[in-house]
Amino acid sequence: MSIDRMSLQILADRCAAAAEAMAYTLMRTAHSTFVKETEDFSCGLLTPDGVTFASPKAIGATWYIGLDYGPVVRMFDYADGDICITNDPYAGAVATHTPDIHIWKPVFIDGELVCFVAGHIHNTDMGGAVPATLSRTLTEIQQEGIRIPPVKLVKAGVMNTELIELMTRNVRVPAQNWGDLNAQLASVAVGESRVREIVARFGLATFRQGIGDLLDYAEAQARRIIRGIPDGTYFHAEYADEDSEGGNPCRIAITLRIAGDELELDYTGSDPQLNASLNMPTGGRERHVLAMVGLGYVLYSLDNNLLLNAGVLRPARAILPRGTVVHAVEPAAVGMRSLTCSITQSATFGVFAAAIPQRMPASPAGGLTIMNVKTIDRTGRLVMASVGPVGGGAGGCSGADGSDGSGANYSFLKNTPVEINEAEVPIRFNAYGLVPNSAGPGRWRGGSGTLMEFEVFAPQTMVTARNRDRSHFGAWGLNGGKAGATSSFVRNPGRPDQEILDNRDIVHCNPGDVIRIAGSGAGGWGDPFERPPETVAADVASGLLSTEAAERDYGVVLVNGLPDTQATAQRRATPRPAPALFDYGPGRDAFERLWTVERYDALTEILAQTPIPWRHWLKGMIFAALRDAPGQQIRPLYAEICQRFPQLNAT
Amino acid sequence: MGYRIGVDIGGSFTDFAVLDERDGSLRALKVFSRQDQPGAEVLEGMHQLQQRYAIAPGEVSYFTHGTTVGVNTVIQRKGLKLALVATEGFIDVLELARLKIPNMYDLFSRRPTPLIPRARAYGVHGRIDADGRETTPLDHECVAAALHAAVAAGCEGVVVALLHSYRNTAHEQAIKAIAAELVPGLPIFLSSEVWPIIREYERTITAVVSGYVQPRVAHYLNSLQQALRDVGVTPEPRITKSNGGVMSAEQGKSDCIQMILSGTASGVIGAAFVARAAGVARAMSIDIGGTSADLALILDGQPQYGVGETIGEFQIYIPSVSVSSIGEGGGSIAWVDDLGVLKVGPKSAGSNPGPVCYGRGGTRPTVTDSFAVCGLIGGAGLGYDAVKVDRDAARAAIAPLAGRLGAGVEATAEAIKDLCVSGMYGGVSGLVSRFGIDPREFTLIAFGGAGPMLAPFLARELGIGEVLVPPTPGVLSALGGLVADIKNDFIRTIYAGLTDGVQDRLREGYADLEARARHWLFVDQGYNGTSTLSHSADMRYAGQSFEVETPLDPQAVATGDLAALAEAFHRRHEQLFGHCDRHAAVQVINLRLVIGGPTPQPVMAEIAPAAGPPPIVRTGTAWIDGAAREIPFYRRADLLAGHRFSGPAVVAQDDCTTVVPPGCTAELDRLGNLRIAIAGAAP
Repeated sequence: MSIDRMSLQILADRCAAAAEAMAYTLMRTAHSTFVKETEDFSCGLLTPDGVTFASPKAIGATWYIGLDYGPVVRMFDYADGDICITNDPYAGAVATHTPDIHIWKPVFIDGELVCFVAGHIHNTDMGGAVPATLSRTLTEIQQEGIRIPPVKLVKAGVMNTELIELMTRNVRVPAQNWGDLNAQLASVAVGESRVREIVARFGLATFRQGIGDLLDYAEAQARRIIRGIPDGTYFHAEYADEDSEGGNPCRIAITLRIAGDELELDYTGSDPQLNASLNMPTGGRERHVLAMVGLGYVLYSLDNNLLLNAGVLRPARAILPRGTVVHAVEPAAVGMRSLTCSITQSATFGVFAAAIPQRMPASPAGGLTIMNVKTIDRTGRLVMASVGPVGGGAGGCSGADGSDGSGANYSFLKNTPVEINEAEVPIRFNAYGLVPNSAGPGRWRGGSGTLMEFEVFAPQTMVTARNRDRSHFGAWGLNGGKAGATSSFVRNPGRPDQEILDNRDIVHCNPGDVIRIAGSGAGGWGDPFERPPETVAADVASGLLSTEAAERDYGVVLVNGLPDTQATAQRRATPRPAPALFDYGPGRDAFERLWTVERYDALTEILAQTPIPWRHWLKGMIFAALRDAPGQQIRPLYAEICQRFPQLNAT
Repeated sequence: MGYRIGVDIGGSFTDFAVLDERDGSLRALKVFSRQDQPGAEVLEGMHQLQQRYAIAPGEVSYFTHGTTVGVNTVIQRKGLKLALVATEGFIDVLELARLKIPNMYDLFSRRPTPLIPRARAYGVHGRIDADGRETTPLDHECVAAALHAAVAAGCEGVVVALLHSYRNTAHEQAIKAIAAELVPGLPIFLSSEVWPIIREYERTITAVVSGYVQPRVAHYLNSLQQALRDVGVTPEPRITKSNGGVMSAEQGKSDCIQMILSGTASGVIGAAFVARAAGVARAMSIDIGGTSADLALILDGQPQYGVGETIGEFQIYIPSVSVSSIGEGGGSIAWVDDLGVLKVGPKSAGSNPGPVCYGRGGTRPTVTDSFAVCGLIGGAGLGYDAVKVDRDAARAAIAPLAGRLGAGVEATAEAIKDLCVSGMYGGVSGLVSRFGIDPREFTLIAFGGAGPMLAPFLARELGIGEVLVPPTPGVLSALGGLVADIKNDFIRTIYAGLTDGVQDRLREGYADLEARARHWLFVDQGYNGTSTLSHSADMRYAGQSFEVETPLDPQAVATGDLAALAEAFHRRHEQLFGHCDRHAAVQVINLRLVIGGPTPQPVMAEIAPAAGPPPIVRTGTAWIDGAAREIPFYRRADLLAGHRFSGPAVVAQDDCTTVVPPGCTAELDRLGNLRIAIAGAAP
């Protein structure tokens, strides 16, 4: 590093302030409530190579810290006043689904390109097959709205109005997209002027050197954190309940290799590219943000002083095999890549937990569902609204219980007040709160899941539950801690017409129907039998733990709400299996008795040799075959399938 | 004619501002705060005023007071043991809050532990819907059971916060009546009485914080009233409020939530007064103390208002003077990380033990110590000679950092100052972008113990052209209390589209608010002067999830001119966000009314004009902008109107030190404000 170390943090502060100024400008001037409320956007300062070196600290989406615009940045020669745009996930792997419109603007000083200012907004609708563009059921990128390849939106200050017309003609609420695009333009203008101020303050040479130093500094910090993790090879797999509507589990597998101050996240063994929109369009790039989100969380959590920029990712590389769900190829649909990315995050937490179990928390609840209601009011007016997220808490960790209701990698979430929902949407809430007995037991328990129950009044009411998951596989416990409870989704609970909805994402309702969704609980940390009896008694007093569960899971016998010391000691002294490093819960244990690591290895090998368009289908066939013959190995089952479908051999 | 006294109790010092009604002159005094015995500092101050300025308690004609006793109760978690009674099915309102977790990148980050644990939250059966209709009657037995359980659990008070009580208070009132019968004497706090806003978490937490601090605040105010009576101060003390106004101490005992942020708010009111007197149209005030740096916007002499101010780990949602925390202040600790990079904060030595150089037990180097090492503070008394600056101790504390950085001690000290400034820069920059303003058009009004020494450097970074240091920057909050109006806010949620048929609801709503406001001012406060009413409404486009407070013309309300009301909103939206949509449907969520009873505004005495150059008290070596320089030191009390001098220079006074950076020019205006023209500001 050459900029002096007394000034480095000052430069970091100033660059972060510039990125934050961009973010606040975006939020202030954006038209869609989506941007203002859910903060689904990013802003940053990029090196002339397109690497993000400064981002806002407290606002915006958390996934884009190390975003690399390199592939699209390199496509152009730039002049002062240019602004480029793209939302195409298959052009440079910068946009990660079509609603995300990215723009980037070169900053020229004294005729020299010194950096870029860039950012993206999640547009509510980009056209395509369904309103709001996204649906799990879509199978091709062409169904996911208009794609803008990387092009110059503004050439030396002159707007390409034809491009705007083309875009606005193809989306459902053009005024909103246009308004949001203008907010982005305002944001990069602010970013550019802030960069000019920084250069005036530090001098051009120092600034150029300094941005390199900021990346080097973050890299050095990350390397120091990695050195604190024992060398070795660690493995963890994580599953989404379904790889398509009513489908098989979707597996994300990570082999973590740590050597000194470098690491490798090998995603080999992850599921094939899907015939659904759950694919991640990483382009196989070894530091693609979608594959690295979990790593960023882990490193920052291990050291809160970490400067969050692309330098953090330099000591790491991901292996993302082509044609898998973590490296989808055109024309796979990618709209709902957020669910898969969430699984990669849990998998990353898991593989680091395998390496440093004492320093990592248990699994967060995951399986976050966004609930939307479409109904009519008394006057027949159509009402559509998101009524809020339903998920669960953070995993327990050494020294603290997990936060309830939300937390860990979903800490950015905000809910919608019940009073606002009831004022806006003609439905009535029966409950909004925490799910008793959902927290994974542990010395430090996991965070509880969230409960939402409401009644609908009008016919043709449609409830959509986006990103349903964790109905089958719970969040793992760590160091003897137990898995959290799974999620449930029910229509008319306790009534004769009760219906288990499981991972259904669209529910058509009748007047009087009650919808009840209970988010999953997060994993517990440490042996629950070591949780102090008075703490367990307090859990029971809080109503989040039943007396029976206190005895069963914690070995604490309560009499009139107080621990019975002798009975507890006896209960806790009863022989029981030694606590395991991971506890996956009954759903996953049952699944993995069938789908062992060996069977998955065989499946992975077979699929890797199969043409990409065949893979999801073939996976389904093999899963079905194993269900019918649970004792079989994969290769003979595959051979049978090849016999039944000779076309497969011809590929 | 007598003396008007404003007193503000802070973490380290208690400040007194005394206005002589005969000639408008202002005196200031600081005494140490007494965390162990709140109220004792007020008596100590009265005693010193008599000794120093011969001001007898009997001559006090008006007394205002701001205190941190409420906020400290929350920070130290020493409030009332409360129960929460909520609607059945919704008792987790405090646990869930609005879900968001403070540090979103940290897997270990947690929401703060609620002030009422879930075990003491009771659900009661009964329901009001969003239109205020009762859909399920209140189950009285269920209420009785909850109250008995709360008492059995040792609760000392009960907060009642039911769904949609902002619209219909019947169930909350019924619970209060049941409690009066079953558990007489148990304090009951209704969310619909504390601050009846829509959004259950925001309304509930506001009521909880109010109940939590109530007994301590009331006890404190009782002692204060008694103490003042004992020393012979006869006027009923007034208490400064978060909304920048004042109310009677008697009212403060029940309306505690209103006074919880009184200190920060009255500082801004004081700065606004200074801005008006000095004719500064666009100002930002910056208050830097030992533990915090707070920024506020003052446009056309008026502070800005908002909700969601932070009390300890919680936000409350009553209308307050908008203040943004942008840093940790003079007590922030400097350190070097294991990669050899210099850092400042977030840990702070605060006011206790404080900086090393104050010799009160601090051992880790702070921002204030860096000023001591650079020779910019010390050499003249600080805090009315209550504090001595030990420069050698500060050097010894910073030397190890300099060793690790391979730099000189002075250079390291200056880098600490620069780093502290760059941290604050980030905070100001965020605010500037949120409001879409240009800092270059603003004057920075600096106050608080560390404000005048840091603000000129901050202004230089931001490209702000002028820093204004008022005559007694250390006691601006106390002055703010003196000049604040008697003032209260009223709110009513109507949640309606701005469409035909709503006119009557608007008229009725405002009529109700006006009646309540007048009762508050003329009956509760015993005020008998002229009054002002400000009408506004929280409005939004249908589908938006946040509201914009829009000032409304009461005439347009009276005549039912919906077009004019909508236009007011469109304009306000455009002003704030740069765009509006005149075709979109507009909703009115809340009606708001502010009533004010103006307090006589002092006429600040003019300073005598200067003849000749300002007297230099001494010259000394100071490290500034990378070099050791011989610089002049001035005494603030020596400066007269029109005195001009160039930086680098230091102006020392009892309550703070002002640093004039090189190239900048300072001039005393006729009101005694030190106006520093910042040169070399970033373009």
